[in-house]
Amino acid sequence: MGNFGQLMDGFVVALTMHHVMIMVIGVLLGLVVGVLPGLGAPNGVSLLLPLTFTMDPIAAIILLTSMYWGALFGGSTTSILFNIPGEPSSVATTFDGHPMAKQGEAVRALTLAFGSAGFGAMVGVVVITLLSGWVANFALQFGSPEYFAVYFMAFASFIGMAGGSPFKTLVCIMLGLAVGTVGMDTISGEGRLTFGITQLTNGISFLIVVIGLFGIGELLLTIDEGYKFDGVKAKLSLRVILRTLAELPRYWVTLLRSALIGCWMGITPGGPTAASFMSYALGKRFSRRGKYFGKGEPEGIVAPETADHSAGSCALLPMLALGVPGSATAAVMMGGLMIWGLSPGPMLFTTRPDFVWGLIASMYLGNVIAVVLVLATVPIFAWILRAPFTVVGPLIAIVCLIGAYTVSNHVFDIWVALGFGLVGYVFKKLEYPLAPFVLAVVLGDKAEDAFRQSMLSSGGSLSVFFEGSLVATMMGIGILLLSLPLITALFGALFRRGREEGQTHSS
Amino acid sequence: MEISRKTMEVATAVLTGSVGALICYGSTENGIGWGPGGPEPGYFPFGIGCLILLGSLATLAQTFWKYAGARPEAAHGVSGAVPEEPFINGTRLRLLVAFVLPIVAMTAISAWLGLYIGMGLYIFYTMRVSAGFRTLTSLATALLVIAVNFVVFEKLFMVPLLKGPILEYFGIY
Repeated sequence: MGNFGQLMDGFVVALTMHHVMIMVIGVLLGLVVGVLPGLGAPNGVSLLLPLTFTMDPIAAIILLTSMYWGALFGGSTTSILFNIPGEPSSVATTFDGHPMAKQGEAVRALTLAFGSAGFGAMVGVVVITLLSGWVANFALQFGSPEYFAVYFMAFASFIGMAGGSPFKTLVCIMLGLAVGTVGMDTISGEGRLTFGITQLTNGISFLIVVIGLFGIGELLLTIDEGYKFDGVKAKLSLRVILRTLAELPRYWVTLLRSALIGCWMGITPGGPTAASFMSYALGKRFSRRGKYFGKGEPEGIVAPETADHSAGSCALLPMLALGVPGSATAAVMMGGLMIWGLSPGPMLFTTRPDFVWGLIASMYLGNVIAVVLVLATVPIFAWILRAPFTVVGPLIAIVCLIGAYTVSNHVFDIWVALGFGLVGYVFKKLEYPLAPFVLAVVLGDKAEDAFRQSMLSSGGSLSVFFEGSLVATMMGIGILLLSLPLITALFGALFRRGREEGQTHSS
Repeated sequence: MEISRKTMEVATAVLTGSVGALICYGSTENGIGWGPGGPEPGYFPFGIGCLILLGSLATLAQTFWKYAGARPEAAHGVSGAVPEEPFINGTRLRLLVAFVLPIVAMTAISAWLGLYIGMGLYIFYTMRVSAGFRTLTSLATALLVIAVNFVVFEKLFMVPLLKGPILEYFGIY
């Protein structure tokens, strides 16, 4: 049990007064970000990132991950009380959470959500504890072709499993990669795709992209959708909270199934949003009480919340062990690691064990703190949300613009962020997926380096990606994932034809 | 003015396609072939540009196919047809423009006079005009926002924001 010993060392790192304070601050900031529509976890973390450049990396990552937990929890508060998801990943929570709150059981709904979310997060962290060392060891034998295959698999799984138009996903990934290549080429030193604009020589920071796409884009979407609160008042009572927590184990089947879905979707880059929807859909189909889903059914809250949070925490596993983030927020954090001078991936486990295990230990504690704080602050946030959006909106806009400026102190970046804001708004409305876009911006350089180095070693032949069983397997899985939409379309066509024939026969 | 979803789909696909073409063109300036030191810098971006172009064309085709297939069916009243959905209606569009234009103005002013003056004017404007508060309340809020940001960024996190000529004239750097 080497992992266990290292985890204990990690607790020694994480359990200092300083770090616990940072966790509390991070969770509180995260709650604010999660509660306010227009500010989400990826955007919140990128706004905070420039402020951590001077901090110690361990304290900085604890701050950012705690903020992530806070944002994941905060999103559910608004979903249940106001029927407005504070985060995309808590959309599925509104389906049953808000009806339940309207029936006068707001506190029970909130407690169910936070309790199952806490359970999901814990499962996720345990999975990270058990698997990360093993995955990292496995990844130590990777060469550049293997790395390219991993990136290829990540992008292919977005195209294959996203559910929307595969071509739109392709466009998003490639646009993200293109944004990543703008600026000085790391190998030749030539400026690329700058079109003579000197401000582009340093490249476009992924932080600017995230602030634009998720922050400003989300803000415009909120304006467009009309922002009306139809709030439910919640009066916290400790008795109801405790009784509801005691009720939770009764849903153990749903809890376990949802946690599994969440872990899977988090490790493969499906992300928390996809996980919560999938878990809700599966819960509806397989639960005995499935037909009550949508009318305020407890399991309808438990399923998406558990999956959301286990996916959210599991998304950090591939980021740490492979250097391939499992969600947009994890992608931003990985960018942060690189800025702090750490290189995410298997080597991190040997070079900075204190960092890795300190972080993992902090996840246990951070989630406990988050559950307590989110319950305690429900009345405050319910009050804040009664402020009109004509006041809150401009404040969020200012936070985003200042955030864009602080990345590298250029006004030019604010314009770029505004541009990406418009892109984010239009893309979101037309169902272009944004998470793969961000992932591609962060991974762009690494994917290209891996590709070029593999091509160099093979002398320009693509066969390097299919020699050796490991690479070939990964590329094979990637190609299979890529062709998944095609396969399902073919099956769908066959099925539909069969059904139509059946209909003509019966009529 | 109402913009239909089809129009937006087509416009976006054309735009992403043009970006793809632009990337292809831009990468030819770095060389897209195989140089003495391996693949030239434009090799990877060129492939990306081509794939963007491909994806955009496919999206375009998909859009036309979806809406073209929908219309004759809709005429017959068969269910499952795709009706002409709006992307955004006139009222919402006006709201959106009224929200975006002040932000653009604020950025332009900030680039010239510094972020603190930019954000103060912007908050004052939105409080006074969009939210309809009294002049005094709006002014107080604007000053409060400036003060909070000044303390948070200049004092707590030591991240200096752009000051601009006016603040510098008064000796605030």
